[in-house]
Amino acid sequence: MEVFWNTIADYNAATWPFQIAFVVIAAVLTLLLYFRPSRGVRIAMKVFMAVLNFWIAAVYYMIYCEPREYHDMLALFWVVMGCIWIYDLAVKHASLARTGHHTWLALLLFLMPLLYPLFSLAMGRTFPMMTSPVMPCSVVVFTIGLMVAFSERVNMILAMMLCHWAFIGLSKVYFFGIPEDYLMACSVVPALYFFLREYIASVGNHGVSKPSPRVLRALLLVLCLIVALIFIYTLCRQLELFIDM
Amino acid sequence: MKTEHELVEILDFIAEYATYLLGSGVHTSRVIRNSQRIGVALGVDVQLSTFQKSTIMTVRDPDSGESMTRVVGIPPLPISFERNSDLSALSWDAFDDHLPLDEIRRRYVELISKPRIDPIFVLLCVGLANASFCRLFGGDWTAMCIVFTSTLVGFAVKQRMQAHGVNHFLIFIVASFMASMCASVALRFDCTSEVAMATSVLFLVPGVPLINGVIDIMEGHILIGFSRLINALLLIVCIAVGLSATLLMVKDSLL
Repeated sequence: MEVFWNTIADYNAATWPFQIAFVVIAAVLTLLLYFRPSRGVRIAMKVFMAVLNFWIAAVYYMIYCEPREYHDMLALFWVVMGCIWIYDLAVKHASLARTGHHTWLALLLFLMPLLYPLFSLAMGRTFPMMTSPVMPCSVVVFTIGLMVAFSERVNMILAMMLCHWAFIGLSKVYFFGIPEDYLMACSVVPALYFFLREYIASVGNHGVSKPSPRVLRALLLVLCLIVALIFIYTLCRQLELFIDM
Repeated sequence: MKTEHELVEILDFIAEYATYLLGSGVHTSRVIRNSQRIGVALGVDVQLSTFQKSTIMTVRDPDSGESMTRVVGIPPLPISFERNSDLSALSWDAFDDHLPLDEIRRRYVELISKPRIDPIFVLLCVGLANASFCRLFGGDWTAMCIVFTSTLVGFAVKQRMQAHGVNHFLIFIVASFMASMCASVALRFDCTSEVAMATSVLFLVPGVPLINGVIDIMEGHILIGFSRLINALLLIVCIAVGLSATLLMVKDSLL
């Protein structure tokens, strides 16, 4: 765990100006997508997301997390996600067009990367040994927000990879003692529900799929509720651990 | 006695029916039995010989002795046990009720037009099934959760690539690599990580071609049996290639 926080401290201390730049660019592009959407802005956001994913792979994992075990494997995961953004750009997938759905959830998810450092401060951590807005989990939450707000039909592979990462985040709460990752894990439950529900609606063979879209939505809701209950149980266990400490 | 036109119509229908079954993962002797049953119902003798990609079919009118032969390609179709069962039941209906060709065709079109299972439902079920495999092989709860989400990623990759018509060997390599790469995060945690990695690719194992291959060989259809087994073996090699790529990257060895 000490190695874990030391690598984060090194990363934050060395890259904070870049992180501020990333946050500013992300904010500007998101606002432009909301208020001045155009093809150029969409392309710029996709390029930005690809660069952000490659940044996490190259700078965060390969340079600063080098002392951690299996850092290269995690870097590979982010390279793949960066490549998916590039592919999305190349095939002109019709994503990042504003949907107007789930505005409040999307807003919350966009603000979440900024809440990460505040949550860390509230937990008694100090700079640089704290979570920051340009770290894997914050980027995952931002990406989920982007997909909730601007994708009529989500890229299912990317959505599943983000969900995978978010669920791993829950394990990190236990194994590495990072309760901040609850923010990411909890945000993914409603996002997963909306992604799959809208995907069902978009490819549901015009209401003749099997099981019927209604049954599928109900099953999806049950699945998300089970996941949410697991999260709540984990949170309660974590609170017990804190009380024991 | 059948006219030439009637014989052509019967041949066309039985050829379509048989190749549909073969493409949907039915073993050869069952296809032959079903086709011959429909043939008896329509008053013709049906003989067919199948290969991996095509079928040679002969229909003979026992009254006139006239026969017709056709070579038909087997379409690659998704495996559906429900559809296979429905189509087998159709052959019994044709036989028991002496249904005319038009009625058999109408029911056949109705059966193959039934909606397929929703891909999202399949995705979630495959994820749960693979997580259960992980448990069966001794995985703990953390490993099971990781296998579940890894399978979702791997299977989503498979579904999207299939939708784009990518070569299925390539699909298996990429899906296996993606699923095992995602499962390799288990190595970071105190859990049964090796079970997680090994079971993350089990959803790709081509069980139906393997079983059909063995049944075909045991029932004397050696050529198509071996074809199916070789095809299944190549798919297993593709799974191994994807898994090996992950192992070499993550553990620097295959063991």
